[in-house]
Amino acid sequence: MVDSALSRPGQRERYDSKLAQIDWVFVGLLATLTGIGILLLYSVGGMKWEPWAFKQLVTFCACMAFMLLLALVDLRVWLMGAYWFYGASLLLLVAVEAVGDVRMGAQRWLSVGGFGFQPSEFMKLAIVLALARFYHECSAKDANWSWKLLFPAAMIGVPAVLVMHQPDLGTAVLISLTGLAVMILAGLNWKVIAAGAAAAAVAIPLAFEFVLHEYQRQRILTFLNPEEDPSGSGYHILQSKIAMGSGGLLGKGLGLGSQSQLNFLPEKHTDFIMAAVCEELGFAGGFMIFLLYGAIILMALRMASLSHSHFGRLAAAGATATFALYVLINGAMVMGLFPVVGVPMPLVSYGGSAMLMVMTGFGLVLGVKVHRYQELPRQASIFQRFE
Amino acid sequence: MAEPSLVFTDVNERQGMFTRRVFLMGGFVAFGMFALTGRLAHLQILQGSKYSKLAAANQFNFRLIPPPRGNIYDRNGKLIAGNRPSFRVMIETNEVKNIDDTLDEVSYVLPQTLSSRRRILRDINQNQRSVPTVIASDLSWEDFSHVSLYANDIPGVVADMDEVRAYYYGGAFSHVVGYVSKISQKDLTDETGVSQTDFNLLHHPSFRIGKQGIEKAFDRDLRGTPGGRKVEVDSRGKVVADDEEGNIAPVPGKDVVLTLDADIQSRAVEVFGQESGSAVMMDVRTGEVLCMTSSPGFDPNLFVSGISSKAYKLLADYDHIPLLDKALSSTFPPGSTFKTMVALAALENGYDPNTIHVCNRHWPWGGRVWGCDDAHGALNLHQAIVTSCDIYFYQCALSVGPDKIAAMARKFGLGDIFDIGIAGQKAGIVPDSAWKKKYFAKRNPANTKWFPGETPSMGIGQGYTNLNPLQLCVMVARLANGRKALTPQLVKSVGGVDRVVKEFPDLPADPAHIDFVRAAMADVVTSGTAARTGKLDLGPIMMAGKTGTAQAYDYKGGRGAHGAVGDWKLRDHAWFVAFAPADAPRFAMSVLVQHGGFGAASAAPKAREIMRLALLKDPETQKRIVSINPADLVDKPLPADTSTDGIPPNGNPDVVPSPAATGHKSV
Repeated sequence: MVDSALSRPGQRERYDSKLAQIDWVFVGLLATLTGIGILLLYSVGGMKWEPWAFKQLVTFCACMAFMLLLALVDLRVWLMGAYWFYGASLLLLVAVEAVGDVRMGAQRWLSVGGFGFQPSEFMKLAIVLALARFYHECSAKDANWSWKLLFPAAMIGVPAVLVMHQPDLGTAVLISLTGLAVMILAGLNWKVIAAGAAAAAVAIPLAFEFVLHEYQRQRILTFLNPEEDPSGSGYHILQSKIAMGSGGLLGKGLGLGSQSQLNFLPEKHTDFIMAAVCEELGFAGGFMIFLLYGAIILMALRMASLSHSHFGRLAAAGATATFALYVLINGAMVMGLFPVVGVPMPLVSYGGSAMLMVMTGFGLVLGVKVHRYQELPRQASIFQRFE
Repeated sequence: MAEPSLVFTDVNERQGMFTRRVFLMGGFVAFGMFALTGRLAHLQILQGSKYSKLAAANQFNFRLIPPPRGNIYDRNGKLIAGNRPSFRVMIETNEVKNIDDTLDEVSYVLPQTLSSRRRILRDINQNQRSVPTVIASDLSWEDFSHVSLYANDIPGVVADMDEVRAYYYGGAFSHVVGYVSKISQKDLTDETGVSQTDFNLLHHPSFRIGKQGIEKAFDRDLRGTPGGRKVEVDSRGKVVADDEEGNIAPVPGKDVVLTLDADIQSRAVEVFGQESGSAVMMDVRTGEVLCMTSSPGFDPNLFVSGISSKAYKLLADYDHIPLLDKALSSTFPPGSTFKTMVALAALENGYDPNTIHVCNRHWPWGGRVWGCDDAHGALNLHQAIVTSCDIYFYQCALSVGPDKIAAMARKFGLGDIFDIGIAGQKAGIVPDSAWKKKYFAKRNPANTKWFPGETPSMGIGQGYTNLNPLQLCVMVARLANGRKALTPQLVKSVGGVDRVVKEFPDLPADPAHIDFVRAAMADVVTSGTAARTGKLDLGPIMMAGKTGTAQAYDYKGGRGAHGAVGDWKLRDHAWFVAFAPADAPRFAMSVLVQHGGFGAASAAPKAREIMRLALLKDPETQKRIVSINPADLVDKPLPADTSTDGIPPNGNPDVVPSPAATGHKSV
């Protein structure tokens, strides 16, 4: 197939050539990773397809189709829709404040026709798109350091505060870090980054004291000293470490992990599934998974850097950054290196909405690769139509 | 992939910046992945064995198997306290969603649980959630099979077999053996140095702790060591699978063998009927206690599964005080039985046994008139013991003095607490001037001096003198033995290890003087106060004894009226201390009938009944009874002569009939 900029006009717009441009090795890696996840869900479900493994498989197939579809979407559509998507997500977050359901002590959910969803999930992608569009229209100098950076700062700050208020510390941190990653990628001055890091070092203890909720503070204290209360809030971390440690080099075998099979491991199918993986498949299995994640992230970053448009680069890299943050935070959490913040392991953990957002993000990444030669106008109306 | 050069330098600058930064980000992610992998290796490879152990500790658990409690036997191997199977139904609180619904379902099968619903709910609340609560126990086989059939359909309800303490002689051993009962908060705080296993055992629903008597004294020995059933559990503690190879068998509690004789004990209980009092019997050679009762008793089986408050109130409110161990934990004035000690103290201190005092029923001394039951006339010491003349002993006691009498009494075990393992013994009082000084130093400093007028009362075992039946039995046993200061032995062996003391110190009294007292006691039965009621009717075997009739003090402190009629609580205490056979003592005993009236009329017949059985069970004595060949009687003196061997030459067999006997012919 043709992958040169010198191909015939209209050739690139044809769907068959677009399909050929999709990075199928990348898609294969995603499928492999999710496949291992489904295998583990089958195992921790008591070697049964119900209640998790089968649903996850169906969700994955649907999300895969959706991702491939998104990969074919013209980049200009993303660019035009970026602010709309961001605005809509922000409205939904405000709506959650007003009419959201309270589940497990936090107001995170909106119900539409019996379907519950968390608007904060949308915001993770929306923030990337909105910032990418902002920087697309911004000069390198302004991206480095100028008053205009107040816009991205507000674009990150407002949803972060709203999500924090729900309260959902994990997602708020994730949104902020994703936004920050895009700002850094866009060329934020190192001195500003260093000053910000210093300010954070001062602000975090203060926030711990005055902003965080009691349960959030407790989680962080527990993280710092899990052995203090092994049956109370230190239980999750301790049991997770026991599960991983007892797996050894080669693991106990599928369906034979005592920690996960006998329910000592909490949230074994969602946030703590990596502990179950490492218990049943051992260090070998855990290493394989991290290798796959590493490969996926590096390939995605490479795809981002291929794009001719600044929007494409930043959007793809930002979506990848969200994914990488998920992996790093969850990995550190289950191994007792980070407080328990309720971040799932993307693709491996059971859960439809997280899977959907991750695959949407990768749909964008693949789309950026497919449309890498596309030039986008520096200034575009948010109402602009493309032929 | 070569890209065409771009038009704007600014665009190139942005792209260049992005490329550099995305490289940094890739490096950051790679570093993060590397760190996570390193941590994974640290957990799984370096610390793997540590976490494997923790995982196994999570996965496997030991469920406590309570050990069978040790049995308690009498001296002949008869089972006094053992364990019997009991079918029961339990509710596992952990497994039940709605306790009320579950109990409703159970009550369809077992209607009797309806009435005990409140108790069940209280128990469920008190128990830890992981511990099952007993809904109903001691089910009949029909009920049990019925429940077993339906229990599978009611989640959280388990039917199984348990062991329950059983006292096979009912109330006969209620005080000395005691009973077990549910552990109380106080018992838990009293337990010191408990290991985790002990702790689990103490909190096990079928565990019972010894509350009284031997059951309490030897509780640690009787308990045993619990075993464990190795099980695989899930995080909620629910058993997923058994691992029978890992089971640890429980070690049953040690068996305790007592020196008591179940036949004699039962006889003593029967003889007392519902009268209040105590009987203690000892072997005069070994000090072994053969019988120790306190009447009325109670059924210890009631306490094992928890006595109803109604039944308990009946026991607690009864004026005969069945819950009190009268053999050990209650003291009484010994009355005339104490005269043996006064006489011995007198002899040891150079008193001439031929000293004559005349009894006219009245004896004016110290500004008041002292009385006696009868006008006994002129008496020597021997006759005074046989007739139990108070006026003689007033004067005898005065000539010896309280300190010397008390010293002698203490040598014979009065006022002692004996190491028979049972707690709660009361020492009572053997008064002397030193005791009085100490006792009244704080209570009433004006009364710390011993007044001469207090000595005559002491001489007849009244006044401050207060003793328990075991002490009086030890006194007679030492008199009957004559050589050794025996101490009572109650426990023969624990877990097969002998515990009986065989060596006793010498009795610090002249054997001739002891013989004198014994001879007088023999005459008490042949011709004295107990002549009508103390004969054994066992051929040549005679009993020797001493009656006692002591003015009573009500438990609430009121002074009793002298006599055997009127308000029960104010009647005299009746005593009889005895040993037999009189010529070659084997058994010694003391009998107290609380508010029984005259010793000779009330206590002596009981002593006779109990003593008869003991003698008939003794092969040596039995041989003596049956070995009388009628042919031997033809040309030999009557064997009855042997019973008078102990009487000294100056003894007068034609003594005045005892007042007790004359006053109560009807008894």
